[in-house]
Amino acid sequence: MSGTGDPDARRRPDLAVRLGGLSLPNPILTASGTFGYGLEFAHLAALDRLGGIVTKGLSLQPLKGNPPPRIGEPRGGMLNSIGLQNIGIEKFLAEVLPGLGRFPAQVVVNLFGYEFDDYARLAERVDASAGVAAVELNVSCPNVTKGGIEFGHDPVLLERLVRSVRNVTAKPIAVKLSPNVTSPVAIGEAAKAGGADILSAINTVLGMAIDPWTRRPRLHTTRGGLSGPAIKPIAVRIVYDVAKKVGLPVIGIGGVETVDDVIEFLLAGASAVQVGTALFRNPRTAENLVDGLAARLVEMKVERVSDLVGGVLPWREG
Amino acid sequence: MQPIDTSARVVEVVQHPLPYYSLVLDGPEAWSATLPGQFVMVECSDGLEPYLRRALSVHDVSKTDRGARIELLVKIVGPGTRALAAKRPGDRVAVLGPLGRPFGPAGGVASDGDVPADTRPVALVAGGVGSAPLLLLGRRLLDEGVCFDFFYGGRGAVDLARLQAFTAIAEASGGTLIATTEDGSAGQRGLVTAPLGERLAAGRYRKIFSCGPMGLMKRLAEMSAEHGVAGEAALETPMGCGFGACLGCAVELMDGRFALCCKDGPVFASDEVKW
Repeated sequence: MSGTGDPDARRRPDLAVRLGGLSLPNPILTASGTFGYGLEFAHLAALDRLGGIVTKGLSLQPLKGNPPPRIGEPRGGMLNSIGLQNIGIEKFLAEVLPGLGRFPAQVVVNLFGYEFDDYARLAERVDASAGVAAVELNVSCPNVTKGGIEFGHDPVLLERLVRSVRNVTAKPIAVKLSPNVTSPVAIGEAAKAGGADILSAINTVLGMAIDPWTRRPRLHTTRGGLSGPAIKPIAVRIVYDVAKKVGLPVIGIGGVETVDDVIEFLLAGASAVQVGTALFRNPRTAENLVDGLAARLVEMKVERVSDLVGGVLPWREG
Repeated sequence: MQPIDTSARVVEVVQHPLPYYSLVLDGPEAWSATLPGQFVMVECSDGLEPYLRRALSVHDVSKTDRGARIELLVKIVGPGTRALAAKRPGDRVAVLGPLGRPFGPAGGVASDGDVPADTRPVALVAGGVGSAPLLLLGRRLLDEGVCFDFFYGGRGAVDLARLQAFTAIAEASGGTLIATTEDGSAGQRGLVTAPLGERLAAGRYRKIFSCGPMGLMKRLAEMSAEHGVAGEAALETPMGCGFGACLGCAVELMDGRFALCCKDGPVFASDEVKW
């Protein structure tokens, strides 16, 4: 241990966090679908400074995705309907994962299936890969008719689904929650009952936009997922509710761009955050947040980032 | 070259007849390697509208004492391009680039001794602000000693931004500029495909390079096929990131696959795209 009285020791706050069995060097991850498979950013961002990388959602077979237009830009955010286009789990494991091994960032593999059994088959396939730190189950993509969305909206089905994955992998399981349900807490509790270790909240908010001149929806699929700063208050509310009531570690997602945003999610009860759409605006957003968070903790005289988790102060008791 | 994300300095905003302008930026020396058809992603606002950067074609590039200078030819179409038009000299804007697959060769080179080289000119076809990437292409063709005609179509005279620069470079290559407007306020009245069609029928061109509205490029692809002339088109789609991460800029190909406009394009062979 470093000697007492080392003035520098106080200048380096402890950013490491632990969520169930998932240990991260810092609480800043990149969100699924916004960082490709990681390597797309290797020349634009310092991957070695991130806490973790969550891959684009992977399925058993490659998927070609939805027809264009796939994105729109309502004020303060982004509306997308990519349709889970991906290279498939086999190609990812063979060609991408080895390249990610040289970075300390933990690799979380986002998985989605069309059929109930797809999730366990995917998790089984990933279980043997030492380079995978955890799996994140996408049961809440709004952009494909059968993209697991029914699993994420039905607590009974979800509990069974998570259990089927639990049975085939010892890796930490995160379940990504949809905001498009009446009670995210009920869904989170079902995930916990099935054996989930972590809750990721939230996926995109179902939305729609129309071009006033052409009269057509901005997206070919009409509806899509809203992300970016516009959805942050929705995400903070759900993180707060889920963290308080379910009792699993939570990863906050939704409009994270500034250090204030990170602190807000931590205070609401998140143990870590994922940066998403902001990476498209600035590919260095995540690594800048790692530095900015460290500086802020010094300013706040907080030694460990984990000390902030759930630290929101109530206006009154009860 | 790998794209660079840089804080570029605004040199000036050159007004053309509204709604067109040129944004001139100083940045790193590496920009001078920008190829015709490539684009940059430019942050337009510090705020929330638009939240994402805008993809803009590089119109021109030159070296400076300490780096390189790019010119972006822009049409005001929404909040992003409007915000950029209000930039002042000395302002900083985040610019990522150069990005994307550039225009290919003019072709016509003899592949074996028995077939003579095709030395016919090439046609550059611009619809409105689609002219943006074609100046740099013209410069390249000039360097290669390739003669080209420049077809410039617009709704009215204002849509023919930088007309004199395009005229000068086409004539320097030994070709001519043919302007058309739908309202007849400049050049010939009508669509740019009319004079192009006459010359294609006469067998004047060996290749067509184009950029403009999707409807125009679709028609050009048909004309390329009808006359057996190769074509390349630079496409414009909504783009989230510009470097292949968001998968938002899908372009459907004839084989049914989705290509990404930002990485696989923006330049595509015209017979490759499902228009």
